[in-house]
Amino acid sequence: VSAHRARPAEPGSAVSDGATTEVVRSYLVAAAEEMRATLIRTAFNPVIYEVLDFGISIYDAEMRAIAEAPGLTMFLGANDYSLRMGVEYVGLGELHRGDVVMLNYPYWNAAHAYDATMFAPVFEPPADADGGSGDDGVLLGFVCVRAHWMDLGAKDPGYVLDSTDVHQEGILFPGTKVFERGVLNHQVVELIRFNSRMPELVIGDMHAQVAALRTGERRLVEVVGKFGRAVVDAAVEEFLGHAERATREALLALPQGSWSAVDWLDDDGISAEPVRMEVTVTIRDGSFIVDFAGSSPATTGPVNMPFGSTIASARVAFKSITSPFAQNNHGFMAPLEVRAEPGTLFHAVYPAPTFTQWTGNQAVELIFKAVAQGLGDTMPACSGGDVPGFMMVGIHPDTGELFAISNNDVVGWGATATHDGAGPLNHPCQTVARNTPMEVMEARTGMRFERLEISADSGGAGRFRGGCGVRRDIVFVSDGEFLSVIKKTKSAPWALAGGLSPVPNRVIAFAGTDRERAISTERLVVKAGDRVRLLTAGGGGHGDPAERDPAAIRRDLDQGYITAGAAREHYGYET
Amino acid sequence: MPDARYQISVDIGGTFVDAMELDQETHRIRFRKASTTPAEPWRGVIDAVDALGTDLGAVGLFIHGTTLGLNAVLERRGEVTGIITNDGMADIFLIGRGNIPSSHMYDFRYERPPALVERRHTIGVRGRLDHRGREIEALDEDGVREAADHLVALGVRSIAVCFLHSYRDPAHEQRTAEIVRAAHPEITVSTSTSIAREYREYERTATTVLDAYIRPIFERYVGDLERELAARGFAGRFLIMRSGGGSMTAAAAQRSPTNTVLSGPAGGIVGGCHLADVLGRRDLLTVDIGGTSLDACVIEGGAAASAFEAELEHYPLLVPIYDIRTIGAGGGSIAWLDGGLLKVGPRSAGAVPGPVCYGRGGLDPTVTDAAVCLGYVDPASFLSGTMQLAGDAAIAAVESTLAGPLGVTVEQAAAGVFDVLLARTVGAVRQITVERGHDPRSFSLVAFGGAGPLIAPLLAREMGIAEVVVPADPSGFSAWGMLGADLMDDVSRTVLGLLDDFDVDALGELFAELDGEAMAAIGEQGVDAADVVFERQIELRYLGQEHALPVAFSESVDLASLRKSFEELHLARYGHAMDNRLQVLNVRVRAIGRAERPAIPVLPPGDGDPARARVVPRLAYDFGTRATVEFDVYDRTRLQPGDVLAGPVLVDEGTATTVVHSGQRVEVEEHGFLLVTAVPA
Repeated sequence: VSAHRARPAEPGSAVSDGATTEVVRSYLVAAAEEMRATLIRTAFNPVIYEVLDFGISIYDAEMRAIAEAPGLTMFLGANDYSLRMGVEYVGLGELHRGDVVMLNYPYWNAAHAYDATMFAPVFEPPADADGGSGDDGVLLGFVCVRAHWMDLGAKDPGYVLDSTDVHQEGILFPGTKVFERGVLNHQVVELIRFNSRMPELVIGDMHAQVAALRTGERRLVEVVGKFGRAVVDAAVEEFLGHAERATREALLALPQGSWSAVDWLDDDGISAEPVRMEVTVTIRDGSFIVDFAGSSPATTGPVNMPFGSTIASARVAFKSITSPFAQNNHGFMAPLEVRAEPGTLFHAVYPAPTFTQWTGNQAVELIFKAVAQGLGDTMPACSGGDVPGFMMVGIHPDTGELFAISNNDVVGWGATATHDGAGPLNHPCQTVARNTPMEVMEARTGMRFERLEISADSGGAGRFRGGCGVRRDIVFVSDGEFLSVIKKTKSAPWALAGGLSPVPNRVIAFAGTDRERAISTERLVVKAGDRVRLLTAGGGGHGDPAERDPAAIRRDLDQGYITAGAAREHYGYET
Repeated sequence: MPDARYQISVDIGGTFVDAMELDQETHRIRFRKASTTPAEPWRGVIDAVDALGTDLGAVGLFIHGTTLGLNAVLERRGEVTGIITNDGMADIFLIGRGNIPSSHMYDFRYERPPALVERRHTIGVRGRLDHRGREIEALDEDGVREAADHLVALGVRSIAVCFLHSYRDPAHEQRTAEIVRAAHPEITVSTSTSIAREYREYERTATTVLDAYIRPIFERYVGDLERELAARGFAGRFLIMRSGGGSMTAAAAQRSPTNTVLSGPAGGIVGGCHLADVLGRRDLLTVDIGGTSLDACVIEGGAAASAFEAELEHYPLLVPIYDIRTIGAGGGSIAWLDGGLLKVGPRSAGAVPGPVCYGRGGLDPTVTDAAVCLGYVDPASFLSGTMQLAGDAAIAAVESTLAGPLGVTVEQAAAGVFDVLLARTVGAVRQITVERGHDPRSFSLVAFGGAGPLIAPLLAREMGIAEVVVPADPSGFSAWGMLGADLMDDVSRTVLGLLDDFDVDALGELFAELDGEAMAAIGEQGVDAADVVFERQIELRYLGQEHALPVAFSESVDLASLRKSFEELHLARYGHAMDNRLQVLNVRVRAIGRAERPAIPVLPPGDGDPARARVVPRLAYDFGTRATVEFDVYDRTRLQPGDVLAGPVLVDEGTATTVVHSGQRVEVEEHGFLLVTAVPA
């Protein structure tokens, strides 16, 4: 028998009252927040500290999430899946005090291979100063941090847009101990160093994640020390139970039924064929079932979703409908069930490529599209449909060094039954991420920007108008590769209740020349002087445009959100 | 002004204006309050000064902390503001960084609050620099004139100018301002590089817009106040507190009001630094608890922690600022039930309607109401008896809203409110020390604000902090702190170069240039060159990192010692250091004209028998034993140095009550500060 099996609370030893429960919960959330602060302040790549491309969570000994700190919206609870798979691979009995395990094997990791999940088991009591005695003590739980790494030696620098199996996507760690009983395994670090094009950044970020884990470990031990195991266990049961009850009640108050929706990804990165996505959402008896049956089989190119990623996408949509303002934990997610057949687009199995699995961005909105049929006026129309991301890779003319800097542009959000869509803002799947300043990109890449402005008429017309997208004009001042990373340019964001769809996202390569062409996801070789233009989509409209308040039309004209021509065409409004 | 006997400081809060008078002959301090008058803020200031009754002709220094600029932004009452930027880039301010507040991260029905600038009031003109500051297109001066004419015709009265990469060379911005001022002398113009010569275009634009937005009303306010003070005989020096420490002349503040937006809370931190000196404590945590929030700041080695980017209503602000962490947990925070879980805040009852016990229509029980239930606040003697509290209503609200549904007593529910409040607070307060690589247990905690002495002894107990210092008149401590504020100015420059590429002489030249700018700014405010002290910092980071750490720069350092200082700091803060290359982010110079701090005289020791100060005991809740017991009650004004009181005990002083639980004791030290410590077990 393992010396450190999870020990359940003594039966009846502590019944938590409403105040104690909230006190314990607050301490756990503060611990996760402190992990977050540590990661942000020590991280090396801007995708972590600007895009917040990370996920942070704390678990009890049964691997139920008991606290999370906000990171990438799409990483909501993604660690849950990875932790279970990682612990299963390593074996619970093989985990010791001071261990840190790394996992980026996509099918277990709920992410592509450049998202490294690191977790540590937490034991009570803390290690003696001499460390390393045989008994680890009682397992209290786990702390877990995932973050995007800049390069793990995939076939191309930057993002991989056209891989056909997982072995083109970087070195894989299935659940590898980076620290064993508190001691750094230099061989693993050297393996990373020799397999990365940007080892300084990657190893720096790895240390940042470890620093965050160590912070969480200390705090979790302190919380248990302060209140006692029995009180903490009782409080955890109480607040997880409360979260689950509140969520089921919210579901019971919604219209009950089952609704399906279909949408299309532009392509899989290999062929030009659109890829079918279908979802059926069922709200019934306090549960919420998301079933991706009807979606495409696994594709040749890397748009496939590991099942853990599919769950995370569904969680984002689910949370926004049931508990948007609550700090997340296992209880809020318990009523959600996600289904996808292995071997299909939404349940990738080895060796399917998964690098550009931003399919999940669109899956969030696809779930909304289905639910909107039943929930009517409470849902927004489509918000641009996808994240218009781009990256430039090249050798910097000032320094002679490799760079790979990305940016995610803003879109217009969908209108609702009560107000115009917000925006331009980041796509709903990464609401708290920040775009990359132009002054930073111009200093660190070979891009210069000639224009970044809100594009008039880009929001779908309606009684309430969709938010506007933007136009960005890029001119290259040095040679390199421009990566367009978007999968929704061929079909338009959807409207609701008689509103109009906006124009789809557009990416125009070599704008203004005879080589000009529209692209979606593509790795484009560019020379100094070439140009690319991005036109990001607005949000869908809501309601019949004929019912729009003329004062709102005048205001939009005044502020340049619509043109006189569009006012006439969509609203019959003469200036 | 050789015969100036008095100094006066005034701090405007949400509910009250606090005024302190320092008599430099007797070292006596007097403290008065008046109500805040939001419609005409200067009136409340004058009311508070009138309440002191000081002969303004004998006042040599009037120093003021105000959140006028902050309120103008919160209430959208600023000037009609326009933006001139690069051609094609007019929407930088409206797009921002594309993010929404993290409290709304799953709220896909989010709506942005109205922006400070209308889209039609933003315009681009031709002219462009690259990332190294090289001009790749000349400034279109006719275009600038046309843009200004257009904005003025639309009703714009204040213009923010911000161009890409201007931090490398401000010439285009300066020329644009000249052209606009020449054509429209009545219009206020703010250029980004005169406020913050740092990189990142949205942050710099937002800072400039805030400046342009609040400057005209700030100028009017300071003008009104100067006029009213002069009419009452004041002819001394008029200073305004800066958010990041020190003060500036009223004239300088009118030119750069963004430096004042959080100037009220800064007074308490300056006071904390002064107190650290007097008490001989190096590391302090200041905790200011008012009606709506708790503001905490770290003082390490006698100096307060600073940040160089603040956030105001979700707008970034690139001005030096004390690193104050605000938690939405104050006396007015509302306690409520969420399906059986007790929550406190973040909603606050504010000044209106206020807590239930204020009897102004508030129905939701607050932390203050819980304090009434627990016996800490005596409804009959609140604010020295000037405000009668409805104690029964507070108890009834806690009973019906919290205790009844939870199935516990009023006392248990009210104690639970404090438990939850503390739990929400402890993590955030601890984080500001841990982030700086310190153990909070080695700090002393300075408690002020109306609710500070009520909550801080519990907070210290919860955090394992050994000592709480309660200054006299804790609710007016921010005003008191202003009395010792130095005159300061900050200048900075974004560098973005590898440390290895510099030689120390080049760094020295850059600093000399910044010294000159800072000296000019502070010299204009009447400080002699001989009296100026310079603090020089170089912000370093590993290449690729975002957050930099400040390392002190002096003529005697070399690159190796800079690197070593950085590595030591990184190791202390984050637990690791590496061999990676270092990048210089910003260099900063602060010029300081030292002010004379108010003397805090040592008082004669008392007779050691505190019975002289004892008043009627009352029943209150003791967190040491978690039971309601009889607390001895003492009148602080009659306590003397050397007095020691064992908890549970309450020390009343009209505008605040210090609550000491069993297991704690309170001692009056030689300057009259209360020191609350744990009794050794």
